[in-house]
Amino acid sequence: MSSASLNVEIRRIRDLAPGIREFSLSRTDGDDFPIYSGGSHIVLSLPLSDRPHRNPYSLLGDPTDRKTWRVAVRKQEDSRGGSRWLHEQAREGMRIDISAPVNLFSLNRLGRRHILVAGGIGITPILSQARELARLGADFEVHYAYRAPEYGVFVDELEALAPGRIHHYVQSRREQIEFSSLLAGRPLGTHFYICGPGGMVAASMNAGKALGWPESHLHSEQFLAPTGGEPFDVQLTLSGKAFTVPSDLSLLEAIEQQGVDAPYLCRGGACGQCELEVVDASGELIHHDLYLSAEERASGKKIMPCVSRLKGGCLTLNL
Amino acid sequence: MSTLATKSQPIYAELEWDRTGTHHILFVSAEDAALAQRLLSNPPGGTLTLVHLRPADDSRSVWSQNLPDTALYLEAHTLAEALEVLRDAFYVAQMGTRIYLAGSEDAIWQVSQLAETFGVSRDEIRHAQLGTKARPVFCVHCRTITRGVHTNIVSCSGCGRSLFVRDHFSRRLGAYMGFQIDAEVPGEVPAAEVAYP
Repeated sequence: MSSASLNVEIRRIRDLAPGIREFSLSRTDGDDFPIYSGGSHIVLSLPLSDRPHRNPYSLLGDPTDRKTWRVAVRKQEDSRGGSRWLHEQAREGMRIDISAPVNLFSLNRLGRRHILVAGGIGITPILSQARELARLGADFEVHYAYRAPEYGVFVDELEALAPGRIHHYVQSRREQIEFSSLLAGRPLGTHFYICGPGGMVAASMNAGKALGWPESHLHSEQFLAPTGGEPFDVQLTLSGKAFTVPSDLSLLEAIEQQGVDAPYLCRGGACGQCELEVVDASGELIHHDLYLSAEERASGKKIMPCVSRLKGGCLTLNL
Repeated sequence: MSTLATKSQPIYAELEWDRTGTHHILFVSAEDAALAQRLLSNPPGGTLTLVHLRPADDSRSVWSQNLPDTALYLEAHTLAEALEVLRDAFYVAQMGTRIYLAGSEDAIWQVSQLAETFGVSRDEIRHAQLGTKARPVFCVHCRTITRGVHTNIVSCSGCGRSLFVRDHFSRRLGAYMGFQIDAEVPGEVPAAEVAYP
């Protein structure tokens, strides 16, 4: 059920800022990449020593560039290996598999104005959205917050796309985005898009709702890295497997290691594709995803195995 | 009479204020004392603009009485005039605005189409059918919309074909679909009945 994969070569690696690297990828079969829409991401399969490791990254280049795809990766301090491998082991000329693009953060083309907001490495999907809006000749502006001047990656590319419409907020200069004023008094038909840290996304959504913005005009994307946790036991009713999820694997990865084909798309708790039905749980479901509603969580009948776990006991899944 | 109800046929909920909004624009084109009383006696927070389409006479309208002090009341005597007033209202409107349309389907869906050109999404508009049940009918042959149709069969104002009025409704066009009823046997047109009073 995993989406079709493409084999690519890492053509170029650029260090953009402390802890942020850009990778340019080209197909090894020489064919063109498909065209994607602004805001799309791909899942990289990384050859870590003991097991394949899959991480989602937003495509940041020109959506119409069919020879080269680009992603930028921030090294996560508490990485379980994916971003660390890309920063320490990956070399130009290496080959890896990637998934086809998926877009969970698409533009609303009926909008009359678009406000794009990026926090840190969240600039990556915003950049491809900005490119698409620039190509369409749409009315848009970008608000980009980052830690210190040297972390403002891709500012030159952004400025070239929309001269005078890129606003910078540099944390080391004590600048920050005030969402209540950013979202106030905007004309009817404005859409808001944000990718950044959880607290920043939540603050913007709250400000929008307080100003009466409807949900259909507030768009956000966050990817979560699966956190480790205590080991727990799993039984799969349809495939008849019983195994233990170790502390350093996600439930989804442990299921895949058993050779069971489970659905997934983003692997970051955002898309909902990997949802599994909980038959029984002797223990507490620890939900980390951004997908399930409060009611669904309370029902105890669903789990997103890419990021969520069980605390203690045994989890029985209809898979 | 008519065909079975189709999924596209609008079902209008009781009109209520959406109190998550911070500005409100209400268009009405029919009298409904109970609705006016219910809505205006308990207005939402934020600004309220009422655009009222009504005949030019001296009668008192239920919509101009009991208006909250803060409401802006604008009167129009033709739909074209009302659409101009609403165009201006949408032009200056801000995010947080909710739009409420109450009247004939012909009028409310024309306003809806206008709102969509301003990038308004469906969760920002509420519709209620008031007064006449007359239908706007889109001819699937010549693409003309015949308005104010009360009968189940109508002569297209564009091409003259006898159209059967279906329940199939297009939100984009703001009209019900009408297709030629005597395409198989030309001239064999059943008597029209009043179906949409």
